[in-house]
Amino acid sequence: MVIDLKRCIGCYGCQLSCKAEHGTPPGVFFARLLKQEEGHYPTVRQLFLPVLCFHCDEPACVEVCPTGASSKAPDGIVDIDPDECVGCRACMMACPYSQRYFLDEQRHYFPGNGATPYEQARSERHPSGVVMKCNFCRHRISVGKEPACVANCPAVARHFGDLDDPTSTVSRLIKERGGYTLHPELGTGPAVYYLPA
Amino acid sequence: MIAPRENEDVWIHSVCDMCFAACGILAHRKDGVLVKIEGDPNCPASEGHLCAKGQAALIGLYDPSRVKAPLRRTNPQKGIGVDPKWEEISWETALDILTDKLAKVRDKDQRGLLISNFDHIAATYFIGGAWAVAFGTPNHHWTGYYCGNYLHSSMYLTNGSFHSDFDLDYCNYAILLGNQQGFMGGLNANVAARKMAEARKRGMRVVVVDPVGTNAAAKADEWVPIRPGTDGAFILSLIHVLVNELECYDREFLTHRTNAAYLVREDGSYLKEGRDGKPLVWDLKSQGAVPFDQADIETALEGSFVAGGEKCQTAFQVIKEQVKRYTPEQVAPITTIPADAIRRIAKEFGAAARIGSTIMIDGKPLPYRPVAVNIYRGAGAHKHGTHTALAVQMLNMVVGAFYVPGGHRGVNLVGPSRSWMPGETVEGLVTPPATIGRAARYYDFEDKRPEGMELHELFPISTNRSPMNQLNLQDPKMFGLPYTIDVLMVCRRNLMMNNVNPAIMAETIKKVPFVVTFSTHLDEVAELADLVLPEAHFLERLDFMPNTLTHTMSPATGHFYWGLRQPIVEPRGQARRWIDVLFEIAERMGFLGEFYGLLNVKWGMKEPYKLDPAKRYTMEEMYDRWMKSLFGPERGLDWFKENGYHKVARAIEEKYPGPFIKPRFPIYFENMLRAKKSVAKVASEMGREWDTEDYQVFPEWKPCPAYKDGTPPYDLYVVNFKIPFHALSVTTQNPWLDDLAEHNPYAYKILINTETGGRKGIKDGEEIWVESVAGKVKGEAKLTECIHPEVVGIAGVFGSWAKGKPVAKGKGVHFNTLLPISLERIDPVSTGVDSCIRVKVSRAA
Repeated sequence: MVIDLKRCIGCYGCQLSCKAEHGTPPGVFFARLLKQEEGHYPTVRQLFLPVLCFHCDEPACVEVCPTGASSKAPDGIVDIDPDECVGCRACMMACPYSQRYFLDEQRHYFPGNGATPYEQARSERHPSGVVMKCNFCRHRISVGKEPACVANCPAVARHFGDLDDPTSTVSRLIKERGGYTLHPELGTGPAVYYLPA
Repeated sequence: MIAPRENEDVWIHSVCDMCFAACGILAHRKDGVLVKIEGDPNCPASEGHLCAKGQAALIGLYDPSRVKAPLRRTNPQKGIGVDPKWEEISWETALDILTDKLAKVRDKDQRGLLISNFDHIAATYFIGGAWAVAFGTPNHHWTGYYCGNYLHSSMYLTNGSFHSDFDLDYCNYAILLGNQQGFMGGLNANVAARKMAEARKRGMRVVVVDPVGTNAAAKADEWVPIRPGTDGAFILSLIHVLVNELECYDREFLTHRTNAAYLVREDGSYLKEGRDGKPLVWDLKSQGAVPFDQADIETALEGSFVAGGEKCQTAFQVIKEQVKRYTPEQVAPITTIPADAIRRIAKEFGAAARIGSTIMIDGKPLPYRPVAVNIYRGAGAHKHGTHTALAVQMLNMVVGAFYVPGGHRGVNLVGPSRSWMPGETVEGLVTPPATIGRAARYYDFEDKRPEGMELHELFPISTNRSPMNQLNLQDPKMFGLPYTIDVLMVCRRNLMMNNVNPAIMAETIKKVPFVVTFSTHLDEVAELADLVLPEAHFLERLDFMPNTLTHTMSPATGHFYWGLRQPIVEPRGQARRWIDVLFEIAERMGFLGEFYGLLNVKWGMKEPYKLDPAKRYTMEEMYDRWMKSLFGPERGLDWFKENGYHKVARAIEEKYPGPFIKPRFPIYFENMLRAKKSVAKVASEMGREWDTEDYQVFPEWKPCPAYKDGTPPYDLYVVNFKIPFHALSVTTQNPWLDDLAEHNPYAYKILINTETGGRKGIKDGEEIWVESVAGKVKGEAKLTECIHPEVVGIAGVFGSWAKGKPVAKGKGVHFNTLLPISLERIDPVSTGVDSCIRVKVSRAA
C-alpha cells in the first residue's frame, strides 16, 4: 500500500471506513490517523500520519507467535487465525509499530444495551480473548475490491497493489515520488510506503 | 414499504444526511440489518467516497437511546436539568393534542405558530411557500444563529447565487479566509476534498488565513494567523496594494463585466439618464456621459468628470481612493499580519491571476484567472460581517476571477440546459435566478412594517434572520409585533445547543405556552418541550432531491443531479417522518387540499401529474408524480429506487457562466443607499431609532465589539472552529464519531497557545475555566502552537447536557454558552450574531 501524504487532508475517513468495514469494538481502530505539531508559532503546522498494519516482509509478530496463529500468507498479508490464537499477546510486544489489539471481552458502543443488530452481525469476526489487527480487508480484495480505507479515501491518497510488480501503480509511485517506509532501521520491511507531503 | 427477506444481501441507493452536502450512498442490507454504508460511485457528489460522518451514520441508526414513541410532559415545571416526567402516549392522542393546540392558534392568530427546523427537505420543498402558507404563518424558518447569514446575502448580491465556491480544477492560488473548503468542510465536501488534493499536487498554492491552525492550515503552503474579526482589513489592504501600488487589476473585466465604470455623484448614487434612466459611463471618444450599455463607446474605468454640470467620478475611482486607508502598514497592527506579508501575498495573488490570459476549454476561449479568495463562516461571523464578505468579492472582481476558469464562482447562476438564468436589474446588474425567489433580490424594497418574527423589512439585504426570532421571543415588546407565539414546533434542529447562550434560550422557550418537538433523541430541546414525537432517522426516510439544485450543488461536481433518499430499514418503534405528520395535521385541520394546491405551484407540477386537492396521496405517490412531471413517465419513483441518480453533465456555460451572460456583477453597492432609506423608513414607522450606518456603497473594515472589549481581565478572544468529522450538534451522539473525537488531540479540548498558557500558569491537560460576560465553560486545556496567542479555540458544537444523549453528554466544551445576544452584537445588515467575544481563562483547580 502507498499513502500519499501530499494528498492526505487528515479527515479521518480512513479511520472510520475501517471501523465501519470491520465493526471493531470501542476504542479499537485498525487504521488510525496520528497528528503531531511541528514547529513553533507562527511557523508551525499539524502533521498527519495515517497508520495501519504494515504487513512487513519479516514480521516480528509472526516470528514470536507460539502457535502459528499469526502468519504471513504468500500474497504478503499478515493475518491472525483466531482459532489458533491463545491470546498470549507476545505479538503485541513484538510489533514495533503497535498495530495489534487484544480483545479481552465483548464490548459494545452503547454500554448497558448489549450489541446493536449491526454489532451482532459483525461480532463473529471478533471473538474475545484473541489478538486482532488489519488484514488489508482480505474479504474485499478476494472479490476484487480495494481495502475499505483505500476505496473510500475522499482525497484519493491511498493506493493498493502489488509491490513485487515493477509496473504496478504502487511501485511506480514509490519510484517516482521517493516513497519511504517508517523506521526501516527496525528491519521488518514494511509493505506500506509513504509519499512525501 | 421494505420487506427484508431472510438471506437477502442487497445494496440500496440512498443519500446521506450527516451534513448539508447530501452525498449519495450505497447501503448494504443483509438479513434486514444495515451492515455498511459506502459512497455511491454514481453520485457526482460522493463519487464513491464518504467522510467519517457518512461512514458512521449506520451506528447511529441503531442507537438504543432513540425516542420510540410519542411522549407527553407531566411535570409542569420546565428548565435545564428538570425531569419532564414523560408519559408515553399513542400517536392518536399526540395528534389530538397537537391539532387542538394548532387549531386554537389558527383561530386566534395564525402567525402565532413558529416553526424551527434545519431539515433541508422540509424547509425547501414542503414548508416555506406551502404548508406554512396553507396554515397561515410567516414564521417558519428559524435556523441556527450561525447559518450563513452574512454569507448568503453577500453572495446573492455579488454572484447571484447562494454560496461561495471556487474552481479547483484550474485555480493556482487560493486564499481561504476563515474556512476549510477542500478539507472536508463546506460545499460538496467530498468532491472538494479530492479536487483540493489534486490541485495541491499540481502545485496550487494555498494560503489559509485563520486564528486557528486548522486542518486546512496544516496542509496549506502558508498559514497566516489573524486576529479574529479583522479579515476585512486584511482583504481591503490586498485590494489597496493591487490597485494603488501594483496597478494590477483586470481593466477589461471591471469595465465591461461590472459596474466599476458607472459614474457616481458625490452622494454616492449613480449618475443616471433622466429620472429613472440607466446609469451613465464616461465615453472617452465623445468625451461625454452616455448610458452604460450604449454601443460603440470607449468607456473610462477611472477618472473624475463633470457631466450635465454635475461633478462625478467612476465607481472604481471611488474604490481606489477609499482603499488607500488600508495600507499594509496601517492594517498590520489591526490584523497582526506583518505588512511585508500582506504586500507579498497581494503581489503573489495578482501575479497568479494572469490578468489578460485566456484558456481553451471545450474549444472555447475563456478568460483564465486561476486565483480565488474563498470566505465562509469564520471570517464573516462578526458584526459587520457583510462588509467583510463584500470586500472579498471586490477582491475577486478586481482581478477578474469571477465565474471563469480558476476563479471564484457561485453555485447555480445558470440551470441545466439554461432552464434558469440570472435576472438583470435596470442598472444591468445580476440578480439571482427567478427560481431562488424574490427575497434574494436586493434592488427594490417594500417599505412596509414587518409582520414576521424575523423582521425581514428591517433587514432587506439578508437571507434568514434567525437571531431575530430569539430576540422577539425573549422580549415581545422589543419590536411590538401584534401577536405572540403560542406554539413552537421544532424539528431536526437543536435550538438549545445551536443558539446563543442556553441559559437565556431556556427562559425564552419557557415563555412559549406549547412546545412540540419531533426528535430522534430526548435532547436539550425535548427537555423543555410539552410534546415529543419520535422522528425517523434519515436511513428510514423517503426524500426526493436532497441535493438542492438551486442552493448547494457546486459546479465542481461537473453535473446537475437528482437523487432519492430511500429508507433502508423500517422506522424504529413508532418513529415517523415529520413531513408525513405535517400532511396528516393538514388533513385533520382541513387545509390539505390547499396544501396540495400550493405544492403543485412550488414543485412546478405539470398535467397530468398535478395533485388533485380533492384526492388523497401517499408520499410515494406524490413523489412519483413529481418525478414524472420533471422527467417524463419513464423516470418515476421506481426508476429512482433502482438507479439512485438522474444526472446531466454541465456544459461549459453552466460551469463558467461569467463570459456567457449579459448582466454585470456589482463591485460598487449603490443599492445599499436605497436599502438604507427603506430601513430608515420602516424603522421610523415602527417608532424606533435604528442603526443604518452599515448600508454603504463601499465595504469598510469596522472593529467588532470584541476588538474593542479587551479590558482586563478579559484579555483573550474565543473563537470556534470546525473539525472534519462532526457537523452541528447532531453528530455528537454518534458513538463512532465520539470515539474519533477522543482520539483527536483537539476536538474535546480548549485550545490555548503554549506561550499564553504558560504565562497564565496553565499546564497542558489540566482543567480550566473560560469565562465571558455571558457565561462560563470548563474543559481540558490543550496547549498548542497552532493557535493565535490572543485566542482561545473551542471546536464544534460539543458539551451536550441532555440525559437522552448519553454518548454526547458531558463531552467537550459548549462554545455557544459564552456568547451573549443583543442588537449591539449582530451584524446590522444580515443579523449574523458576532461569534467571537473576549474571555478570561483561569485554572479550575
